[in-house]
Amino acid sequence: MDSILTILIFFPAVAGVLGFVVHKDSIRAYGISVAAIEFALSLVLWMGYDPNVSGMQFMESIPLIPEFGISYLLGVDGISLFIIVMASFFTMIGIATLGETKRIKDMIITLLFLQMTMIGVFASLDAILFYVFWELSLVPMLYIIGAWGGPLRIYASVKFFLYTFTGSLVMLVGMLFMAYFYQQATGVWSFSLLEWYRLILPENYQLWLFAAFFFGFAIKVPMFPFHTWLPYAHGQAPTIGSVLLAAVLLKMGTYAFVRFSLPLFPDASVFFMMPIAVLAIIMIIYTAMVAYAQEDLKQVIAYSSVSHMGVIILGTFALNVEGIAGSVFLMIGHGIVSGALFYLVGVIYDRRHTKMMREFGGLASVMPRYATIFGIMVMASVGLPLTINFVGEFLSLLGFYKQSHIMTLLAGIAIIVGAIYMLAAYKKVFFGEVTKEENKKLPDVNKREMFALIPLTVIALWLGIYPKPILEPISNSTESIVQLMHDKAITQEAKERIPNLVDEMSISRTSTQEAH
Amino acid sequence: MEMYLYIALFAPLAGSLFAALFSASPKTLIAGIVPSALLFVSFLSSLVLLVYVMGGETVHVEMMTWMATGDLYIPYGFLVDQVSATMMMVVTIVSTIVHIYSIGYMDHDKSFNRFFAWLSAFVFSMMILVMSDNFAGLFIGWEGVGLCSWALIGFWYHKESATWAANEAFIMNRIADLGMLIGIFLIYWNTGSLQYDKVFAAMSHVDIAIVSTIGIFLFIGAMGKSAQFPLHTWLADAMEGPTPVSALIHAATMVTAGVYLVVRANPIYDLIPDVGYFIACLGAFVAMFAASMALVNRDMKRIIAYSTLSQLGYMFVAAGLGAYWVALFHLMAHAFFKALLFLGAGNVMHAMNDELDPFKMGGLRHTMKGTFIMMTLASVALAGIFPLAGFFSKDLILEVAFIENHYILYTVLLLTAGMTAFYSFRLVALIFHGEERYKLFGFHPHEAYKYMLIAMSPLALLAVIAGAFKMTYFEMVTKVLPMTEYHVHNPIVYWIMTIGTQLFVIACILYAYRKYEVAKEDKKMEENIGYKILWNQYYIPHFYEEYISKPYRELSRIFWKDIDMKVVDATVDMVANVFYKTGEKTRGMQDGNLSSMLQLMVVGLVAMLALAAVYSIATVLVAG
Repeated sequence: MDSILTILIFFPAVAGVLGFVVHKDSIRAYGISVAAIEFALSLVLWMGYDPNVSGMQFMESIPLIPEFGISYLLGVDGISLFIIVMASFFTMIGIATLGETKRIKDMIITLLFLQMTMIGVFASLDAILFYVFWELSLVPMLYIIGAWGGPLRIYASVKFFLYTFTGSLVMLVGMLFMAYFYQQATGVWSFSLLEWYRLILPENYQLWLFAAFFFGFAIKVPMFPFHTWLPYAHGQAPTIGSVLLAAVLLKMGTYAFVRFSLPLFPDASVFFMMPIAVLAIIMIIYTAMVAYAQEDLKQVIAYSSVSHMGVIILGTFALNVEGIAGSVFLMIGHGIVSGALFYLVGVIYDRRHTKMMREFGGLASVMPRYATIFGIMVMASVGLPLTINFVGEFLSLLGFYKQSHIMTLLAGIAIIVGAIYMLAAYKKVFFGEVTKEENKKLPDVNKREMFALIPLTVIALWLGIYPKPILEPISNSTESIVQLMHDKAITQEAKERIPNLVDEMSISRTSTQEAH
Repeated sequence: MEMYLYIALFAPLAGSLFAALFSASPKTLIAGIVPSALLFVSFLSSLVLLVYVMGGETVHVEMMTWMATGDLYIPYGFLVDQVSATMMMVVTIVSTIVHIYSIGYMDHDKSFNRFFAWLSAFVFSMMILVMSDNFAGLFIGWEGVGLCSWALIGFWYHKESATWAANEAFIMNRIADLGMLIGIFLIYWNTGSLQYDKVFAAMSHVDIAIVSTIGIFLFIGAMGKSAQFPLHTWLADAMEGPTPVSALIHAATMVTAGVYLVVRANPIYDLIPDVGYFIACLGAFVAMFAASMALVNRDMKRIIAYSTLSQLGYMFVAAGLGAYWVALFHLMAHAFFKALLFLGAGNVMHAMNDELDPFKMGGLRHTMKGTFIMMTLASVALAGIFPLAGFFSKDLILEVAFIENHYILYTVLLLTAGMTAFYSFRLVALIFHGEERYKLFGFHPHEAYKYMLIAMSPLALLAVIAGAFKMTYFEMVTKVLPMTEYHVHNPIVYWIMTIGTQLFVIACILYAYRKYEVAKEDKKMEENIGYKILWNQYYIPHFYEEYISKPYRELSRIFWKDIDMKVVDATVDMVANVFYKTGEKTRGMQDGNLSSMLQLMVVGLVAMLALAAVYSIATVLVAG
């Protein structure tokens, strides 16, 4: 168990390199086994994780460049653990259900490399290491979109790459400055996040650094107005690319807000809370309306992702346990649901080679099982209680309500506009008479597709009905972040906005005990 | 008792899942019978619980944790007290009958199995709604019934109008749900809990302005589910669903959830009588507003839907004025006779090949005797004639308004009672009396299956005798609800009021018979501007379409095509293009030609020297 994180990161990459020598006919079986072992390993990680400990677990540390304090530093807590499990889960079902693909060997190897970078990002606790994985993740995705994408794939992939790369460079500058300030304050260089957490920066430094990090994260999320690369990327990417992009890669941005921005710059987080909330509300309402106007089913889901990310951002900047835990939970929820929705769009695209909604209609009678699963995911996306997204959405909004009533009321419009575009799209595709001849004989979802869809459906309902297994560890880790922020905060406003849990903890203990 | 609670709650879920197993296969009778039987079991368990709580006990269980983070702790907790037991009885009685009836009604439908899966799922959600012991659990049921209502309104999904109505209902309800959600947030941050008992206990220490805000937001939630103005348009459109659905969801149970919420949150509303008064006024307005639209409508189901809306208004008047037990009593009585009315309408629709215009019917009392008797009974009960259920519950609301000195409300409700009698018997007269106009249109009506009539008969019985339970009921629910008796103390005033109301209502009934016994198209009346306004439902649906839906669609399109594509994305591309073009333009400099390279080098050198000179002179000057 000591080096399980290292194994998790590099096992897919090593297997990917070895994959070059595997014969083309057996590459699929090879890929599935590697991904299944990887998923099993991630489950082992989850089993070994102690949910009652809020700090980092499975830490590994090897100095790389001691003069500059750069090290190979890994660890997971409740916030990153489940994203890692989710990443390996999606890679597994992605490879296992890969349809007819040209150059399938290249695809599987690329996916395995992508998996390495994804897990690397969420397990890194050293800023440079984090940056390396963050940037490396662009390469496999660039290749997936550029090689297996639609007609505009080159434009889309280059846009995706350059846009996010630009943002990351600004973030890198911010990291270098952060390390420099750390060196100024303590006399030694360090890029370790845990060391950085202990540093209290003056407020004006925080503001600048926050802005630099923000630029990198916001493009990745993507936040309005930096979101326009996403519809192109989704529009051109093959199904597997979209699924991983929506489910895991976008979470890097929101995760980084929780991991870097909040604990490093608590005063700046409070300072920028309202402007960011305004951006989040624009994301929620504006992109939901844009989603409503779409004609292409996949674009509806793509824009809906941006809208949901708005709720995640809002929950993160609630700066209290309810909000942050809710936003981390919603990262998982959105990953499962949007991943499943993109997968479902892929199912119909494989059959009809179009994603235009006007080409469909009445599919509920032709493909009842498909319609049922799609319906469940639509309802999860809309955030119906007892589905996974409700928990995250409810907690995120509940958390932010403490900070601002009117902003939450505006953000809450999410539940209305979300229902509008989702139900409209569902109606266009599934209801009505079957008008097109081609649609009359469409086969329902097959076994291979079920292999992906059934687990996703089960998870979407299970974690909505009983979120405790993952909400509890998330909540524990969130508490330590919130407490850290409160202790570090300098300004009076930040002290007030970020709750102090030490006193409240004892009260809440007794009240829960009473409840039992 | 816990076992009965769990059986009552989960039997409908089991039925729903059982029917869902067959959802993709062709019609099987068992998919209808098993859920119905399970619902009957649920009814029996509810009955046991009712008897138990009548003794003053309550059952409170906590099944497991739902959400817990920070200070928030939400369990799956269920509470059976006198109020929820009443609701459970209403829900299980009506739904059992509607299920059995539907086995006959949906007989020829190819999606028979899917129908029962959704119908039982609805009952399960409704049970969660009324049995939860906290606001979050209530919200689960609240959204659950919304989902099932969506699926059942749009049950015949090949029909554009049905799916449109389904989406409208869902979205309108979501607007209200946002209000409810905000109310829940406010409750949590001000009391630290969402459990009813803790919240109500803490409420007295909360600032009264915040309590008012909570009351208003919760009521906004109630307005959506109970289709109060201005969120009322979905209810009439919801009649696109199968008629048993209208009977169960859009008359007896789901639409009364808003009333239940206000009754349940009575400790909150007791603190804020001003908000309560607003609720009562809105209720009275809706009562009259909806009744007026029912006067002229020519769609059988829509008339009954408007009547439901109107009666919900009555309930809100009672609840708003603090007479919670009266509101709940009318809710119960109304559920019985209104479900009966709808099921009767379902029989008529079956007989008439889904024709809804009563002007094309007439004289059906000869062929459909059973249905005729039951619908007449239900209409008499609805009109509030002694000694049927409506008399005891509806007249009580009038008395409440009178005793609380709200004479305007009283007058409005009295007039509405007359209108109710008129439109109810207009419908009865048009359908069952007069000439047999349907022959002109080539219909061959027939009575419904006998067991459908038998299934309906308990409702008919309850519509007649429900009033007799008034005192038992009163003693039971006032264990949790404020115990205020509403008696007009002056016997002369009391008798004048009661008999006067009865005479007025009977006069309205006779007028309706006289006018519509012989159904002739009254062209002159239809030219009337007032008629046109009513016929077009005060132009509200038109207004919503023109000034909300269309602009929203248009704005969405503009946001996409003009802003997202032409401004936001174009800016990004422009930035990229600047770099690209700069590169293109300056590429000529890097052509590798030695002489041009040397030229550039000289230019650079001169520029650097000039800069150095300026800099050093500047330093000297500054230092000097």
